[in-house]
Parts: sequence; structure tokens; C-alpha cells
Amino acid sequence: MWGQYSYGILVVLVAGVIAFYALARERDDLHKLLLLDLVEIVAIGIIALLGTDLAEALILPGLTVGIAELLALSQIYCTKEGICERPVRGLNIEVIAKGDAPLIISIFLIAYGIILSGFTGGGVAGLGLIFLFISRMYREDINLLEMASGISWALWIFAFFVFMFLPQYWFIALMGAAIGILLKVTAKMSLVGTMWGEHRD
Amino acid sequence: MIIRRISHILCNYDNLTRLFAGACLLLFIAGILLLPLPYSEKQLYPKTFDRNSSLDPYDRGGPPFTQVTIVSQYPENSPTAGLVTSYLTPFSLFLSQVTLHLGTTIVSHPGGIIDEILYNTRGLDTVVEATILFIAFAIASYIYRKG
Amino acid sequence: MINLIGGVPLYVLEFGDELVYFTPYTITLFLLALTFTVLVLISRPEKQVDIAFGGDAYRTKEISVSEMRFRRFMAIACGLATMGAMVTGDIFNFTLFTAMVGITNVGIVAAVKSLHVQDAAYQYGLVALAATVPLFAGAAIYAAVTGSLSMIELMKGTLPAVPLIAKGMLMLGVIGEGMAPFYAAKAEMFRAPGAPYVIMCSLSSLLLFLRVVEIVMLG
Repeated sequence: MWGQYSYGILVVLVAGVIAFYALARERDDLHKLLLLDLVEIVAIGIIALLGTDLAEALILPGLTVGIAELLALSQIYCTKEGICERPVRGLNIEVIAKGDAPLIISIFLIAYGIILSGFTGGGVAGLGLIFLFISRMYREDINLLEMASGISWALWIFAFFVFMFLPQYWFIALMGAAIGILLKVTAKMSLVGTMWGEHRD
Repeated sequence: MIIRRISHILCNYDNLTRLFAGACLLLFIAGILLLPLPYSEKQLYPKTFDRNSSLDPYDRGGPPFTQVTIVSQYPENSPTAGLVTSYLTPFSLFLSQVTLHLGTTIVSHPGGIIDEILYNTRGLDTVVEATILFIAFAIASYIYRKG
Repeated sequence: MINLIGGVPLYVLEFGDELVYFTPYTITLFLLALTFTVLVLISRPEKQVDIAFGGDAYRTKEISVSEMRFRRFMAIACGLATMGAMVTGDIFNFTLFTAMVGITNVGIVAAVKSLHVQDAAYQYGLVALAATVPLFAGAAIYAAVTGSLSMIELMKGTLPAVPLIAKGMLMLGVIGEGMAPFYAAKAEMFRAPGAPYVIMCSLSSLLLFLRVVEIVMLG
């Protein structure tokens, strides 16, 4: 009965016990949040032990949910502790801050991300935008970004229904979903970039 | 008396996380005691390895636009699944022909089978996931602007 | 061999691998969630009044329109997530809907501009985040042991039995997301103004709990 799977589960459960023990003893609010980020890894570990392609497909939503809640919670933490002024310094590398390098690197990353398409592409393109925002003190309109992510969400839902009810047009649905997720991930990541970027000294 | 004491502990919301973490701790210890767990050999979307492929361990076989069989739960519900299990961008294709280690980097990850699962056979999961992300960002940006 | 508290599925809607099915039990829960979502959509929120005891003094709390609009949006999203969780026929999909209920509940409360309420919302959010661990772990163990995530397949009784620990994890996850036994702590959250929206938090966790009981009985 003791197969590879059970040994794997044993290791992850022990890790979980350690992590939850630390969490049960912690009193500081910020440290609780940080520990929870660690505890999330236990869940990812148990999903990964499934060891099939399905596991990979389940990890992505699991990871996203954790990151999303972490983001919302850290914003609530900032508000409740009254940390409003957050001076953020840009990358203090003179070559990057003054030259055209960030623009070129960002354009390269965004173009490559668009070629890749899908999740990976969105991540790469988003990285390009974040890099641009950090290195240039760029102020982007948050409303515009929110609208873009809303539109991509709608595109995504549309693609889902095409897949389910008009499967003969699957290629359009695939492209729609890929562009939707790319726009979405890009918009979200650059939103993070702008949130860092404001309130500079 | 005891109920009043319990509810007194519960009503202090500072204790909530610690209480829940304690409950999880007990459950995980119980999980260790209840090992071993059987592992079903009949899994959906099983993974196969081809050590000689330059895409290893991400080689799912089949050129794009020819249908390969995917072991999904209800194949009759997704007639078009399996058409894009492998697609490479021109750059990744070039790399895969030059080196044997393409499959080891995340950038080259030929996401075909993942896309098949995430977009097509288990599309509803991703709809909910995208919505959760949407909600979380809505909360964060609302609090950020008004807070 | 179908024996479950929900009864035989009356109607099955197919979304690829994930089936949405309606039994008399889930239809009842679904309709309850739907009714309340419509109520939230059309009702006008309350205004809280503070009264000083022993005197005639009272004052209404100032609540901005944008705050109310945001909380209404969150409450409707919470209702939709609850409806989804009531009818979904896939274990992992159910856990995702549950996680969505958790985060919308945090959103309903966190929008209130009061330090006390925000502190409660933060602690509640921490529990919701911690609850995703047993929730997803439970679903993954379901998949590993039975080789399937579909509740319809579990109902047939041909798959290997689901281990107790997976059921326990699923249950604990739902308890954490919905804060089911922590109503005493939820009282803090009810200090937040806006009656129909805050009630949504409680209703959704109650419905989730009723549904997870049905799921645990399967397989």
C-alpha cells in the first residue's frame, strides 16, 4: 500500500503541519500574511503529487486564487494600518533610468509575449510593461487598464461559450481565449506596476 | 458555561486565524495517521515521457492540427479536443531543432495540452479563476483609490 | 446505484469535462441563492442610525454612493458564485466557486471605511486564504484516489472509495471560506452598514455548507 504517492503525501503533510503550527503561534498581522503565503505552497504540493497533465492544469487556478487573495489582503492591510504614503524608488541604475534601454527591452518582451500567446505570453508581455513602469516614472490611467481587463474578461467568456456550444469554430475560440488571457494578464500585471509607481519622492 | 466561554474566545476575531490554523493542524496530523492513501492507476490526462525528444518532459506528441487522443472524462463533450496539443512559436521551433534542452525552460513550454484542458475540456474552471482574479483586483484597486 | 440526499439528477448541462446538474435538492438551494441575488439587485440599502441612549440624540452614518455601489457589485458576485457552487458537478470547480464566495465576502466588508470593520475583514480574509489549502488539497486527493473529479462518476459507485481525509479537508475548507461556525466573530462584520449586502455573507456560507454535505455523502 505504501506507494510513491503515499510517501509524497507524507512529506507534504509534514510540511503542512510545520507551516500550520507556525501560523497557529503567530500573533503579528503582517507575519500571518507572510506565513499564509508559505502555507499555500502545501496546497500546490498536494495538487502536484497527482502527477498528470491534469495536475498542471489544476495548479494554475490554485496559484491564481492564492495570489489574488494575497493582493487584496495586502491592500486591506495597508489601509487598515494607515500606510498611505508609500515612497517607492525606481530602479536606480543610471543606464536604465535615462537611456532608451527600458523602452527597447519592454518592446522586445511585449512583442515576444504576443508571439507566445496564452498564459506564458501574457506573463512575458506583462513583465515588459512592469519593467517599463518601474524604470520610467510613468503614470498610467488606472481606469483604462481596468477597462482593458474587463473587455478581455468578456472576450474570454465569449470564447468559452464558443468552445462549449459551437465546437466547430474551435480555432476562433482558441485564439479569442488566448488573446483574452494575454490582455488580461498583461493588464493586471501592469496595474501592479502602476500601483508601485505612484507616490514617488 | 462552557458554551459561553467558547463563544467568548470565538468573538475575538484576532484569534480566528490561529484557531483555524489549529484546526488545519489537527486535520493534517490526522491525515498523516490515516496514511497510506491508494493511488488510482486509471488517471485522466496521464503524462508520458519520451527521453529522446528535445521537448522532454513536455512532449505531448502529434503535430498541430492533427487530432491526438486525450484521455478526458467525457470525450464526447469536447469533440475538438486534441487538435493543438503541441504548437511551437517560430522561435521555440528553432530552439527545439538546435538544442535538446528546450523542454527544461518555462518560456519554451509548449502549452498545448494545458491550453486544451484550461480552455476546452475544463473551461469552466478557468472562467471562475479569471473571475476570482477580477474580483480581487477590483477590491484592491477600490481600496487603493478610496482608502 | 444512486443513493444520495439530493435525488436523481433531473437535468444535466454539459461543459466539456465539467457537468452542471440539477437535482431537487440543488434546485432548491439554487433558487434560494437566485432569489436573494435578485433581492440584493433591486433593494435599497439601509441607513444606519446611531442613537445615544438616555437622550434624544441620534445621527445617521454617512455612506458614499460609490461605496454602496461597490458593495452591491460584490454582493451580486457573491450570489452568482453561490449559485454556481450549488449546481456544479465537479469537485475542483466547486472548490473554485467556494474560494470566490470567500473573497467576495471579504470584499463586501472591506469596502466599509471603518477601522474596526476593516480589521475584522482582514482577519476574515486571512482565514479565507488559509482555507484554500485544505480545499484544494481535498480536491486533489479526490482526483488522485478515484481518478475522477466528476460528481456524476462518483455517484455511480464504481470508483474506489473516497478516503475520509479528503472529505474532511473539503469540509474544513468550506467552513473556513464561509466562516460557518464563527458567527460570533461575524457579529463584528454586521456592524458594517448596508443590510442586504451583509446578509449575503451569511446566506452564502449557509448554502455552501448545505451543498458540501451533499458532496461528502457521494462516493
